[in-house]
Amino acid sequence: MLLDKKRLKEALDILSREAKVLVPMGMDGIAKYTPWDGQKLPDLDIVNTMLPPKDTLFPQTEKMYNFTTGPNAQIAEVQATENQVLFGVRSCDARSIDCMDKAFLSGTFGDSFYSKKRENLTIIAVGCVKTGPFCFCDSMGLDPSSAPNADVQLADLGDAYAVTAQTERGTVVLDQWKSLLTEGEGDAPKPTCELKVNVPEDFAKKLLGMFEHPIWDEVSKPCLGCGTCTYVCPTCYCFDINAEKHGNEGTEFRCWDSCMFSDYARMAGGHNPRPSKKERVRNRYLHKLAYFNEQHGQLLCVGCGRCVQKCPSNMDITRFIDMAGEAIKNG
Amino acid sequence: MSQVNEMQAQLRKVAAELLETGTVGYIIGWGATRFPDRTTPVFIHDAKDADKLVWNEYCINGLAKYVLDDKIKDKKIGICVRGCDSRAINRLIIDNQLLREAVYLIGLPCEGKADKVKCGKCAHKNPVSYDVLIGDLVTETPVTDRFKAVEDLEKLSADEKHAYWSGVYEKCVRCFACRNVCPVCSCKECYADQYRVGWQGKQNNSVENWNYGLTRAYHVGDRCVECGECERVCPMDLPLMLQNRKMLKDINELFGDYECGLSDDRAPILGEYDLSDRDEYM
Repeated sequence: MLLDKKRLKEALDILSREAKVLVPMGMDGIAKYTPWDGQKLPDLDIVNTMLPPKDTLFPQTEKMYNFTTGPNAQIAEVQATENQVLFGVRSCDARSIDCMDKAFLSGTFGDSFYSKKRENLTIIAVGCVKTGPFCFCDSMGLDPSSAPNADVQLADLGDAYAVTAQTERGTVVLDQWKSLLTEGEGDAPKPTCELKVNVPEDFAKKLLGMFEHPIWDEVSKPCLGCGTCTYVCPTCYCFDINAEKHGNEGTEFRCWDSCMFSDYARMAGGHNPRPSKKERVRNRYLHKLAYFNEQHGQLLCVGCGRCVQKCPSNMDITRFIDMAGEAIKNG
Repeated sequence: MSQVNEMQAQLRKVAAELLETGTVGYIIGWGATRFPDRTTPVFIHDAKDADKLVWNEYCINGLAKYVLDDKIKDKKIGICVRGCDSRAINRLIIDNQLLREAVYLIGLPCEGKADKVKCGKCAHKNPVSYDVLIGDLVTETPVTDRFKAVEDLEKLSADEKHAYWSGVYEKCVRCFACRNVCPVCSCKECYADQYRVGWQGKQNNSVENWNYGLTRAYHVGDRCVECGECERVCPMDLPLMLQNRKMLKDINELFGDYECGLSDDRAPILGEYDLSDRDEYM
């Protein structure tokens, strides 16, 4: 089915009736997913928004419980019930949601704060017509023009989008859009990434054997220990829980944390098992490229390139992967 | 060969000699990345790797902060310094974070890099301190608009200023890149990393972000060397130098012309006392 680009506003209007629609917008120079204002068309020329869409499911600060103290102490869970639509998501960011699903929902314990939002989320992906200078998703096993876990996949045909429902929820969207869609199909561009990375076979397993390798000293040296890479990363999901209390009332909240921060692994009493940047950089790269794979059978890097683009020291995970690959090859 | 390439060749030669003779333990400079318009800090330990040092318009990152990572007791750390880096080194020395003898400064006169925001108001293209100079000193051009943006902001009403800074701190993600790159922020433990009830809240909202940003601005205060690194690294493009320059403008108005880090023996101005200091608030 085809959606004429001239009818995009109507399509978004329809979605807005039942949900908060988040679209990529360049706001004050910082591109991010922003609630649609009902007027301005989404900025779909942006290859990658500067901030990933992860805060849709995992807000940087999220209220968990309101509580009162005293003899009649009470605790009330704060739950998001609002429907949300992420519109214009790229393949890398769609895959990142798949990664977060595994982190928050798989196993014996499901994170109820995440799952409520996830149940109410519709993902509408759009295939890339071009890739950015920092993109390397196709080296990480993704396809810039296809997001298999999205509910709806759009393919840019120039004047129209080819629209495909990929899930039941996606079928509902197409049904809502029925009056806007016309029969037809077409070939969308199939871009590839210029930045290529050679991920060696069995990389995760081999990397685990390199825990004491001198490579960590070298790659971690320029690191400043800020949280930029983790905050612009669509798959970094670490959080910290804290409370705010005024008088007898308070709120328990969680907020993003970063394994690059010096206090991240610090324990009560002051001991820090990751005392320097070497241990912290190693932990981040191993989590992305080895530990997550051990737990969930896939890499935790989707090749969006945001960390490469935004690192104040121009550290580069693609360069690390290739360096580690060389080290593996040379035994 | 262009002048820049000549300087790069000379830099590599000098670096190799310093490493070969054991004058320095290693050298902090800039090296190539996968992208032609970016460099990354490199740490050269071996004379044969001196060719990894580059000198071009993309040598943008400040390097001074890295000297705090290591304390080499028996050998000096060699470090490439432009005007801004050398002021940062002086700043670290003034605050007893570093001994002058612990570093060997490879001075590189710098006509400004590709980052026009960072380098736009540079008043010290030449390193203010060095042990060896690469290339020739360049002519300094006076900066006339150092406080222009601050003056514009000061014209706003209190409400407008409040709205402006609220907007700024609404965007902050508290990645702490500004703090971590800053050569002034050398506290072993930042107040913002301390867990205390009623202290710096971990929530990301404009109030907590503002609290962090202003606390840092006041703490940096008279010690800002105006390298512009905080603003360069901010992933949200926040106008952080505007804050720092507001502090410096006030300091200049209260205590006379002042720039931090021009020498390694003058204490930051707020640490000095003079009988002629203004005291109408007493």
